[in-house]
Amino acid sequence: MLKQLTQQDLFELFDRLAEQYHLLMPTLLTDGSRELMPWPGSKAAAIDGIIPSMAGEPIQRKPTSHFFPQTDPLVFLKPDGTVSVPQPPDKPLALCGLNREDLAAVAFVDRFFSAEPADDVYLAKRSGALLIGLSGHCGDGSHGDHFLPLAQGLCDIELIAEEPNEEKKEQEKQWLAVVYNAVGEQWLSGFAAGSPQRLELLRHKSVTMGHQQQELLQQASRLLQADQVPDSFWQEISSRCIRCGGCNFVCPTCTCFCVQDRTTTAGTQRSRIWDSCQLDAFMREASGHNPLGTELLRTRRRIHHKLVDDPKRWGEISCVLCGRCDRACPTGIGMVAVCEELVRRFTS
Amino acid sequence: MQSFSNKPAQSIYSPRGCTLLHVEELTPQEKLFRFVLDDGSALGHQPGQFVQLSIAGLTEAPISIAGSPTRGPQFELAVRNVGTLTGALHQLQVGAKVGIRGPFGRPFDLAALQGKHLVLIAGGCGLAPLRSLIQYCEDRPQEFASVQIIYGARTSHCLLFKEELKAWQNSPHLSCCYTVDQAVPDCDHDTPYDGEQGLITDLFEHLFERCIFTAENSCAVIVGPPAMYRPVIEELRRYGFTAPRQIMLSLERKMRCGIGKCGHCTIEHLYCCTDGPVFWLEEVETLRGAL
Repeated sequence: MLKQLTQQDLFELFDRLAEQYHLLMPTLLTDGSRELMPWPGSKAAAIDGIIPSMAGEPIQRKPTSHFFPQTDPLVFLKPDGTVSVPQPPDKPLALCGLNREDLAAVAFVDRFFSAEPADDVYLAKRSGALLIGLSGHCGDGSHGDHFLPLAQGLCDIELIAEEPNEEKKEQEKQWLAVVYNAVGEQWLSGFAAGSPQRLELLRHKSVTMGHQQQELLQQASRLLQADQVPDSFWQEISSRCIRCGGCNFVCPTCTCFCVQDRTTTAGTQRSRIWDSCQLDAFMREASGHNPLGTELLRTRRRIHHKLVDDPKRWGEISCVLCGRCDRACPTGIGMVAVCEELVRRFTS
Repeated sequence: MQSFSNKPAQSIYSPRGCTLLHVEELTPQEKLFRFVLDDGSALGHQPGQFVQLSIAGLTEAPISIAGSPTRGPQFELAVRNVGTLTGALHQLQVGAKVGIRGPFGRPFDLAALQGKHLVLIAGGCGLAPLRSLIQYCEDRPQEFASVQIIYGARTSHCLLFKEELKAWQNSPHLSCCYTVDQAVPDCDHDTPYDGEQGLITDLFEHLFERCIFTAENSCAVIVGPPAMYRPVIEELRRYGFTAPRQIMLSLERKMRCGIGKCGHCTIEHLYCCTDGPVFWLEEVETLRGAL
């Protein structure tokens, strides 16, 4: 299904979605960054001057954190011996404005947590959630015509911003809405049909953009699989690591966690919390044996896991090139930075 | 101490309630705990599997099951006191309640072992998980051509299951040989240790001198501390254990969830908790950090 939406149509759609979902929209914060925040409703948005910020700086908080939060209750152990599980949310989530990389990350994590035995704690939040992708000409004018590649089916509904028209005002911005499943169809059925020719033009532009960084990852992956990267390289990279764990905590496909108990008079809340493979205790066993006992091994593992181990296990590289780790790393050894150095040095 | 529900698990993370029936001190550091599930069901494990033992307030720890399923619905865990949870476990009295998730993991491949001469090698605490297989062999001797147990411990104080070692030595169905790196007087009786002394691999020459091991007729199983694997494998190869699916081993890792989600037990692309803890040697030998 293909629809054509005006900005007013879009707000109407958001208002309707917010009745059934916890709808989160990209919103501009006062420091200039963007965050997925609850949709206040079009009237409130108009009064407060709030507009969804569909374009701008990348959203640093990983989208998967809405389904796999930093602290995630697993079970509650009551003093009488009964065990209860967290109540499912009263309304499912709807995340709007995810770009192709973020949608690819959600798809990867979906598959990871759905593998048998399926993780019911994750699925309780993910099941029934709506993903609204964002692509096309999303520039807000300040950064020129910023074009996001099309997501092509990784979401329920994809909003594709059409090319800006200098003669029209921002409020008249046009959107194509591609619907990928029955849930999406239910929400878009009342809107005007979109132009398949215009969609085809946008698809063509998306394909011809290419993705140089994808090739970089593939090259790095091939070098690692061929064991062409010596330990001296990892020693050098790891010497720059300050063990903050930031790379893992911002990565939308990192899913490692440890477990903590917090006990009160009411009982014990057992939760999982994000963990980082860059920390010394990550794999240390009770016996003292530590398979990741050096900085070298931990740094190697961070890159190797995404580019070699996950492709072996899941059939694909698990870095989606969202850029978060490169933006977060204080010492410049995020995924792309390391891969650039690795490929430059070891490609003959 | 917190008790746990015996109602059906509501989540993959919900522990099942079970009761401590018996405690036996194996060494000053290790105790053997016997449990039964409060809902009356059997654990349903196979030799080589593990459980996540849960104490409210102290989270969970992965513990190998030390007994065979052929021994009835109760199950045994041999636990060294090395941390907060295991320390609390060591303080528990009979009748205490704990939580259990599992059994988890890939067990010993019993089908592959059937009809063969088995060499079961354990080092230190590795005898606990291997005991589940030894008991299984003891209860079903007709399924195996022969069973040779080889066990090594750091000191004579550290020997686990001392009475059972003697019983296995006298069993018509099993052979058992053990050694310690260092002999020290017996704690309780101040009697000198009169068994073998030396490295576990020192036992091989005497035991294997007239044996011909082939891929068709034999299989070795190794469970022990990380430092033990490579020297033992090297020795086994000298005696003919060179074929695929001829050496099986069980690896210890820090499993926080037991179900392949938490990421703490990965060995390259493998998850020790679900792809293992039992592996064929050739599955892990070339993986960095596995051995």
